[in-house]
Amino acid sequence: MSIDIRNVYRRFGDFTALDNVSLEVRTGELLALLGPSGGGKTTLLRVIAGLETVDSGQVLFHGEDSTDRHVRDRQVGFVFQHYALFRHMTIFENVAFGLRVRPRAQRPGEAQIRRKVHELLELVQLDWLADRYPHQLSGGQRQRIALARALAVEPSVLLLDEPFGALDAKVRKELRRWLRRLHDEMHITSVFVTHDQDEALEVADRVVVMNEGRIEQIGSPQEVYDHPATPFVYQFLGNVNLFHGRVQDGHAMIGPVAVPVAGMADSASAIAFARPHEIEIIRPAPGETGIAARVEHVLAVGSTVRIDLEPDGGAAAIHAEVSRSELRELGLVTGDRVLVRPRQVKVFEAA
Amino acid sequence: MNLSLRRHSVLPGFGLSLGVTVLYLSLIVLVPLSAAFIKTASLNWVAFVAAVTSPRVLASYRLTFGASFLAAVINAVFGLLVAWVLVRYRFPGRRVIDAMVDLPFALPTAVAGIALAALYATNGWIGQLLAPAGIKVAFTPLGVLVALIFIGLPFVVRTVQPVLEDLQPELEEAAATLGANRIQTFRRVIFPAVLPALLTGFALAFARAIGEYGSVIFIAGNMPMVSEITPLLIITKLEQYDYAGATALAVVMLSISFLLLLLINLLQAWMRKASGQ
Repeated sequence: MSIDIRNVYRRFGDFTALDNVSLEVRTGELLALLGPSGGGKTTLLRVIAGLETVDSGQVLFHGEDSTDRHVRDRQVGFVFQHYALFRHMTIFENVAFGLRVRPRAQRPGEAQIRRKVHELLELVQLDWLADRYPHQLSGGQRQRIALARALAVEPSVLLLDEPFGALDAKVRKELRRWLRRLHDEMHITSVFVTHDQDEALEVADRVVVMNEGRIEQIGSPQEVYDHPATPFVYQFLGNVNLFHGRVQDGHAMIGPVAVPVAGMADSASAIAFARPHEIEIIRPAPGETGIAARVEHVLAVGSTVRIDLEPDGGAAAIHAEVSRSELRELGLVTGDRVLVRPRQVKVFEAA
Repeated sequence: MNLSLRRHSVLPGFGLSLGVTVLYLSLIVLVPLSAAFIKTASLNWVAFVAAVTSPRVLASYRLTFGASFLAAVINAVFGLLVAWVLVRYRFPGRRVIDAMVDLPFALPTAVAGIALAALYATNGWIGQLLAPAGIKVAFTPLGVLVALIFIGLPFVVRTVQPVLEDLQPELEEAAATLGANRIQTFRRVIFPAVLPALLTGFALAFARAIGEYGSVIFIAGNMPMVSEITPLLIITKLEQYDYAGATALAVVMLSISFLLLLLINLLQAWMRKASGQ
């Protein structure tokens, strides 16, 4: 089922949660809504679910206007950050809930419910917990049960609100891989909200980056990471170095380093971004240009080496990542004077 | 003292605090209650049975426990509604209503009784509206019920309110996304969650109603066999210097109340176990 969101606005008092948001969710894809908290991503998810109303705009399910349709009739599965399991029911009854509340004519028989629930519990690999109560389960187990409960009603769309947000790092990683595998098996149109860029980039088919109620960029994980459309996306996704400069003769001057830019007026101020692995460090030599800096700290832990550099003139620290072999060749130690230049850089006009 | 009761804790003092607790409860609760039992023991068995099973006394048990039970049931229903409205909705005057709920706690019960009697008398504001329909409230068992409902309400509201406040809205949203309608959501999700607190409130309102005296005697009319409550009979006996007879009635009331409250407690414990908590 495809979802089409058209020009949706939603305000809470003075706060604009959704500011003219349009988005198409394609049938069968796993889409991530990524952004800082307060960026509007949870509101958007709740609007899709029908748990939140819109001030204006439309939500179409499979081309059909569903803006005013009640949550109950939308056939969405919703997974909450804090699980929202029914405490007084066993795990079995939690999963069976959606089947038991169906109108009598559509309600499956007891044997059928039993079979279906056990099928789902097996799918989430927790069949052995059927007779327990939610408070006897770990966070990761609870969230898998919440997912099984949402799938029991055979929803046409699965919506997950920060599904792994309340879990510790290790369980998070396991669960997100598991979710990806599950989606590959079931191909149910899914949207999940996260503020964790790793999670979004690793799990999703497409990522929607949101900030202050607006969509900043939509694209595959690779697209948004390698070609950020806005300074916000650049800064939000991964570590990044920020340089201030000025445009001269079609080049942005970042210190002594000139980067060709197109379509920017002379003497406009520019900001440039380069990721740590795009930073090149060289020893000062005649004829070489670069930002003069001093090595502050060398951290050789893991497969890459992180180097903190302090540029002359008091600009913000520069972070670089080099391979271990590069470090051996350079032989850098704290206090060395070096030249720094971005190998690759993306320039935006400063606001 | 069994040492296995003592667990390591950052706040030591199990022995001292238990000792103070036992002493305190003995002085405040146990000694006065046992005095009633001891005084009763001055009657022989035949005299005791005669004192506590005379027709007039039996009629008063029926009224006291029956009206108290009914009042507690009515309070459970409407107390839940009041708590729900106070927790879920924001409206002008909410705080005032919230504070008003506690008034029956604070009001001297005699004042409540006189006010209710005046309101419900056949020439009172409410009584004159009911009179044409042939409904008499003041000076009938119905009046007893009204007084007991009045004094029991805050118990239910105040026990249910915090539980409703803690109830995550996500639970209802989850039920809705799973296709439950409003009635199903209430019956299967909200009600089971508040039921233990509701039972506690019910038990408190019930216990309070059984012991109530001040407000009831003004509105009941106190006709023997019809609208006379057991606490009033006890006072009557005291006024006739029949101390042993009065304490005998008190002992019966205490025993029945204790059994009923124990039953409610067991029911709650069973419910907790059934829901695995």
